[in-house]
Amino acid sequence: MLESLMDLVEGLSIAVTPTNILYCFIGCMVGMLVGVLPGIGPSEATALLIPLSYGLDSVTAIIMLCGIYYGGMYGGTITSVLINTPGEAASVITCMDGYPLAKQGRAGVALKVAALGSFVGGIISTLGLALLGPTVADFALSFGPSEQFALLVFGMSMVIGLMGKSLIRGLVAVCIGLSLAMVGMDPVSGTIRYAYGLNELVSGLDVVTLSMGLFGLSEILVGMENLSVTGKATAVNSSKLKPEEVRPTVMAIIRGSFLGFFMGLIPGTSSAVPALISYSMEKNLSKHPEKFGTGVPEGVAGPETANNSYVGGAMIPLFTLGIPCSPTIAILMGAFMMHGMTPGPTLFITNPDVIWGTIASMFVGNVILLILNMPLAGMWAKLASIPNKLLYPIVLIVAMMGAYTVDNNVFGIVVMLVSGVIGYVLKKLDIPLAPAILVFVLADMMEQNLLQSIRINNGMGGLFKSPIALGLLIAALLVITISLIAEFRNKKSALLTHDE
Amino acid sequence: MKKVLSVLMVLTMLLVPFAYAEDAAANYPEREIHIIVPYDAGGASDMTSRIIATGLEDALDATVLVENRSGGSGSVGMTYARNSAPDGYTICYIPVEVVMQEILGISDIVPEDFAFIGRMTEVPAALTVNASDDRFNSVEDFINYALEHPGEVTIGNSGTGSIWHIAATMIEEATGTQFNHIPYDGAASAVTSLMGGHIDAVTVNPGEVQAGVEAGRLKVLALMTEERDSVSFADIPTLKECGIDVVIGGWGALAVPADTPQAIVDKLSVALEEAAATQEFQDFIAERGMIVHYMNAADTTAFVQEQSEFFNEVLSTMTLD
Repeated sequence: MLESLMDLVEGLSIAVTPTNILYCFIGCMVGMLVGVLPGIGPSEATALLIPLSYGLDSVTAIIMLCGIYYGGMYGGTITSVLINTPGEAASVITCMDGYPLAKQGRAGVALKVAALGSFVGGIISTLGLALLGPTVADFALSFGPSEQFALLVFGMSMVIGLMGKSLIRGLVAVCIGLSLAMVGMDPVSGTIRYAYGLNELVSGLDVVTLSMGLFGLSEILVGMENLSVTGKATAVNSSKLKPEEVRPTVMAIIRGSFLGFFMGLIPGTSSAVPALISYSMEKNLSKHPEKFGTGVPEGVAGPETANNSYVGGAMIPLFTLGIPCSPTIAILMGAFMMHGMTPGPTLFITNPDVIWGTIASMFVGNVILLILNMPLAGMWAKLASIPNKLLYPIVLIVAMMGAYTVDNNVFGIVVMLVSGVIGYVLKKLDIPLAPAILVFVLADMMEQNLLQSIRINNGMGGLFKSPIALGLLIAALLVITISLIAEFRNKKSALLTHDE
Repeated sequence: MKKVLSVLMVLTMLLVPFAYAEDAAANYPEREIHIIVPYDAGGASDMTSRIIATGLEDALDATVLVENRSGGSGSVGMTYARNSAPDGYTICYIPVEVVMQEILGISDIVPEDFAFIGRMTEVPAALTVNASDDRFNSVEDFINYALEHPGEVTIGNSGTGSIWHIAATMIEEATGTQFNHIPYDGAASAVTSLMGGHIDAVTVNPGEVQAGVEAGRLKVLALMTEERDSVSFADIPTLKECGIDVVIGGWGALAVPADTPQAIVDKLSVALEEAAATQEFQDFIAERGMIVHYMNAADTTAFVQEQSEFFNEVLSTMTLD
């Protein structure tokens, strides 16, 4: 570990050269920008910038491209908070409490808490990457299809916490999420489901497009009912946390850092998963779970921290084993190869300057992003006081552009509009939307992993043979039982006071 | 007089489009060109297209943009390209899977929907196992074990009906073995699963396993090419050398919609040859475990025809499971 620290210091001396700081800054800025724009995610931006990195020194190029990746995690928050339209999948859950905060004129709080959490998460996971990298790499490999399936079941069990007032309505939302996930090609047999002959549906529905409709557009439709009421805070309230909010927010950031880091290690999980699990976890641990969804800062802090610390964790399998854990990491791997390096343990021997320079630059980048985001938070927050009459058309255009850019296809706009209408109807019926999206994200991966596990083990046996899988399944069962008991207790008293 | 004039005018106006068409080919390219990649950003096809795009920019003196339209095993992007205006401004990256789309029932795309500009790359296949797996130190070990334990050896591929799935199935047919095929979402996740020891082998492109081999986690038993690799895997035998007559691999070509004027196809073909010859392209392709093997428009068309017949025959007798 001491040796790693020495290497890290060496790396820092590479990372703080003026050129490298400049390109780190460029990467972070581009990342933030694409994070803000719905539809274009960090993976597309990284791919776009790779050709531009030819002329650069290899370490400078990698520093810039990594900056895009974690910079994107910062940017995605802004639209989620301000206009209830997530910029990328990892920020979907931030809408839950970020947007209500903005409605109360506290967008500044949400954005600052998110920036701070992202910073802490980024630093902790980069430290983890530097100090624990090779040690935890094997832990990542121990997650095969059976273990991943169990992990996703555990994630699914967390959904109960998101269900809101009525368990039945929550289950309706879950079923909607599951049916949406069924659309497209069956991952194992290749059978095409629910595509109705439409070529565009063969690849299934896109989570960002769906959530732009379900969250963002439906919000506009609800707002249109009463356009004369501004619904906006007349004044931008203080962007400071209330004293009683400090402790839960700090705890959420700490828990989110570790959660995100470990989830990043596991191949095949997207950054949306730690964010979603962090949110449910915070809600379950909270003293006032009923306030979640109405604008609590820890509901923003936890997930935003988790999706940032995910980045450092996800770099470990790439750096130590040459495994790309996520689409963006796969593109980074391509960038390494284009600069004549194969990621993996040999890289620590052949190009230590690149590896340690890159890791050290992630500290620099997170500092840059924090400096950029803290003052900006206040400026962004002022946007929240724009009257709805002006804001709604802008949001609509941004969402439509975003839906188009996901696949460069007009069909995406249709999907966004249709899910917007569905979202509106569901809101009117008081059916919570978050479980639907969470289940949608998990179901796809779950199905594939389950079918793989069954095929590999010729049956369900694999799920019980592996201690990791078994442990996670038992944990899931516990979570479900505890939440059900709590739910029924609440229901009893609720049923006595007013009918459903 | 007036009548004559108006008739003349109408005639000239009728001729304008023809003159324009002539011009369009002669002045091509006048605006930016789009390369449609039917897969996600970051994959081998995407990166190949992005590098070749920079080469084409130099050769054609025009802007060349890469656009990803992924989904449906490539059918979404290829369908979009097929339906685009045949004016040379929409080019499509075409993978080997183009000849299988119809047979596998994924879409109605056939090679005849396109006019091929040329082939750029060959993507070989390799049989790879976990380095710590003592059961398999050679192809013989592997096949013998599989013969003794029918249905037990698990082989990961990059999706049902993918070229790597077909590659594993061809080994089965040639050796009388029976594997348990496990489809993954792309080759990278199959390789990860192999490294963790969750499956026994993969039959994917050597570029995908190179990092694992260098890390000492994986070992390549054989390549499924005609001849040995001269760069990264020089000491690895081919299946053919081991007495298993299986030669299979993917390839990447560029094409435009079928009705594109011949003059434009020719121009693009010349530019592609130039772009594929650049050192940058050669280095990148070799590093990714692929082979640069340029073929001109006519040869590519004939080659795709052959491939179509080959896979038609292979797939008609094959049960993919």
